[in-house]
Amino acid sequence: MRELSIKRGQTGKFRSRLRRKIARSSDSSNSTTGRVPKVLTASRLVQQGLRTVLLVGMLVLIDIYAPRFFRYQNLVNILLQVSLLGLMTIGMTVVMIAGGIDLSLPANMAIGAVLGAMYMKSGGNWIVSCFIMVAVGVLVGLVNGIAVSRLKMIPFVVTLAMMTILSGSAVWLTNSLSISQIPNSFLSLFDASPIFGIPMTIWLGAAVTGAATVLMRSTVFGRWVYAVGLNARAARVAGVPVERVVLMSYVISGLMAGLTSILLTARLGSASANMGNDGVVLDIVSACVVGGVSIYGGSGRVLGAVFGAVLITVLSNAMNLIGVSYYLSLIIKGAVIIAFIAIEGRKGRADE
Amino acid sequence: MNSSRTVLRMEGISKAFAGVAVLRDASLEAWGGEALALMGANGAGKSTLMNILGGNVASDHGRISIDGSNVAIRSAREAALKGIAFVHQELAMLPTLTVADNIFIDNLPVSGPFISTADMRRRSQALLGRLGSTVSPESRIEELSIGDRQLVEIARALRHQPRIIIFDEPTSSLTEPERRRLFKVIRGLKAEGVLIIYITHFLDEIFSICERVTVMRNGETVWSSPMATVDAAKVVHLMLGVSAGEGRIREPTASPGGSLLQVRGLRRSGVLKDITFEIRAGEIVGLWGLLGSGRTELMRALVGLDPIDDGTIWWKGKSGLSNIAPRQLHREVGFVTEDRRGEGVHLALSIRENLALPNLKSLLSNFLLIDAGRERELAHAMIGRLNIKASGQDQAVGTLSGGNQQKIVFGRWLAANPRLFLLDEPTRGLDVSAKSEIMRLMVDLANQGCGVLLVSSELEELMRVCDRYLVMNRGSLISELPGSATAHELMAAIAESGNGNGSW
Repeated sequence: MRELSIKRGQTGKFRSRLRRKIARSSDSSNSTTGRVPKVLTASRLVQQGLRTVLLVGMLVLIDIYAPRFFRYQNLVNILLQVSLLGLMTIGMTVVMIAGGIDLSLPANMAIGAVLGAMYMKSGGNWIVSCFIMVAVGVLVGLVNGIAVSRLKMIPFVVTLAMMTILSGSAVWLTNSLSISQIPNSFLSLFDASPIFGIPMTIWLGAAVTGAATVLMRSTVFGRWVYAVGLNARAARVAGVPVERVVLMSYVISGLMAGLTSILLTARLGSASANMGNDGVVLDIVSACVVGGVSIYGGSGRVLGAVFGAVLITVLSNAMNLIGVSYYLSLIIKGAVIIAFIAIEGRKGRADE
Repeated sequence: MNSSRTVLRMEGISKAFAGVAVLRDASLEAWGGEALALMGANGAGKSTLMNILGGNVASDHGRISIDGSNVAIRSAREAALKGIAFVHQELAMLPTLTVADNIFIDNLPVSGPFISTADMRRRSQALLGRLGSTVSPESRIEELSIGDRQLVEIARALRHQPRIIIFDEPTSSLTEPERRRLFKVIRGLKAEGVLIIYITHFLDEIFSICERVTVMRNGETVWSSPMATVDAAKVVHLMLGVSAGEGRIREPTASPGGSLLQVRGLRRSGVLKDITFEIRAGEIVGLWGLLGSGRTELMRALVGLDPIDDGTIWWKGKSGLSNIAPRQLHREVGFVTEDRRGEGVHLALSIRENLALPNLKSLLSNFLLIDAGRERELAHAMIGRLNIKASGQDQAVGTLSGGNQQKIVFGRWLAANPRLFLLDEPTRGLDVSAKSEIMRLMVDLANQGCGVLLVSSELEELMRVCDRYLVMNRGSLISELPGSATAHELMAAIAESGNGNGSW
């Protein structure tokens, strides 16, 4: 017994620090009684196979029809897009693993960008503007989180309403025009000046991916997120502060939206309400689902989701280069999501 | 009415699920105008027997006759046609529809292509009137109290002019006035000649409204007689039996340590009434009562899983007893819930992840990260200590046997060395050897100075380990018995409180 006792004193200070860092929480207590992953391996294999086939097939098609794809400039371009989509995908991944969904993420990103850009345009300091964008994102995440964890609202509905409010506000603030005249110091830092030939945005995307991977894999909070997403009731009995974990997942999602505001504003050199249009939500959810994040909560990986973002970006980019119309590309992306959810759904049922 | 009195006979009913016999040659007999109390502990076979009568389950053997002629009941619909109605414990209603809609949902009256609302309303009103209910047929179910909903459910049953009505634990979520009203309704039905079969865990109720009693135990009907020939203690005795059981694992300790936990005046409206008790170090306290007495609710309230309205909890910390909030107490104790698969473990996670979950903060390396090495060590040590049978620590817990899953539940808490364990039915659904292992583990913990509060439906199990018993009934602690109490004394203790007239 003694050998197992854990050195409490030693870790006490970390614990209290962590406790402060991680906020309070809910029981979505009607969640299922956990799933047994016997069949999971088989369908995971199918998903992985499908992903690989999709990617290889696309690359072959691209090679035949759009060899321009492989030019250095286009590859950097793709990595830039992957970084932007990837950041938002990571935010969504955390929320989805905790058993929720955040549809307001792109709208959150757009409103932050618009507010930050307006501040800069009015002569404000670009550093302060960055803080504004991140703060807006986190604040919106906090509101979503409180609504879901404390007020027990349904994530889908809350974030859908939040999306409408935020995009409405963004259009209203900008009169549907884009805000340009962004200071050069801001633009050059995030977009223009490459480090080792690679733009800052890509570095940041990679860094956040790494940090999020560690967060979800090796921190107490990460474990808690999985436990809550799998079975909130059991998590609560095990002493997991379920409400705080749920709240925090939305805050992280908001933080990712805020970071993306900065990078996307820098990349476009302007901000507009249209930055967070419906197509972006579709891309984020597609990336998560294709990347193996379960819509039922409790499973998925950050790296998988980022890989999903790569796949979706390459798909969009390739369709663009080949000359597929925007509308057809939406149809194809939608079909890809449905295909993956179909596999996921079969898995969900098989586990019951 | 007595000339054409309904007579129900069920004879030699047997049923096995997946090779496990749940009913063995069960029989019962009941007459119209009377209520038959069907009693039995959890798993005695009451529900299965009634589901056979209600057409939800087919029997393997046996014969059912109504008024002397054999009947075959192959579906719930056939049961309804033969005049058998079932008022379930879990009310299956459509909350957003109206009372009238719910009463007629399976056979809506139509005129042409349209539902004849007026007709439905009028007939609903008549049915509800028969029950003395003033609920409007227009109101939506979700606006009604549980008691009113139940009357609607009974009205639905009355629609088919039933001769036999089965009530399955109808009072478990009713308030006292609602309960009295239900009894009035049942007496009214009896006066109309309806045959009532009444299932409950509350002993006092059967003495006030039933004429006859049939007791089941382990799938057999062990007793049938007029109510007047038995008393409450006798019924408890019949329900629980007096199997010799195995000997004590540990004799009651005469000298427990100091007070670990004191609960004073704990109250939760409608659930727990003024609960006061203490648990001392090194003792195993049995929380003894029938299902629905508030045992589980007390456990959950103590650790903050359910809210409390009043009362304080005192916990022995470094500097003596001090007041503690339930949520904080949760961090100090090992808590085993009765719902192992739903709440005790994460079925999809591995053994290692399950064991680590409540202990993550103590497995941190520097940089606030979980130390994978220590996590593996913890799992390895627990698997060894509890003798968990698994292919390895990465095996998903959902694929383990029940006994091994329960060991994981214990293992989750053992690592933190809690001084108090709250155990709610820790051996439920386990085989004999797994049960013994869990019981021994409990005694080991007590020997090491831990306090244990143990809930179990099986008396002989409690009697193998308990140093003291707290007896619960209807949300109150009604008495306390020493570890030396006999089975007879323990059963008498639940029975004697049977006046049940307290109000919340």
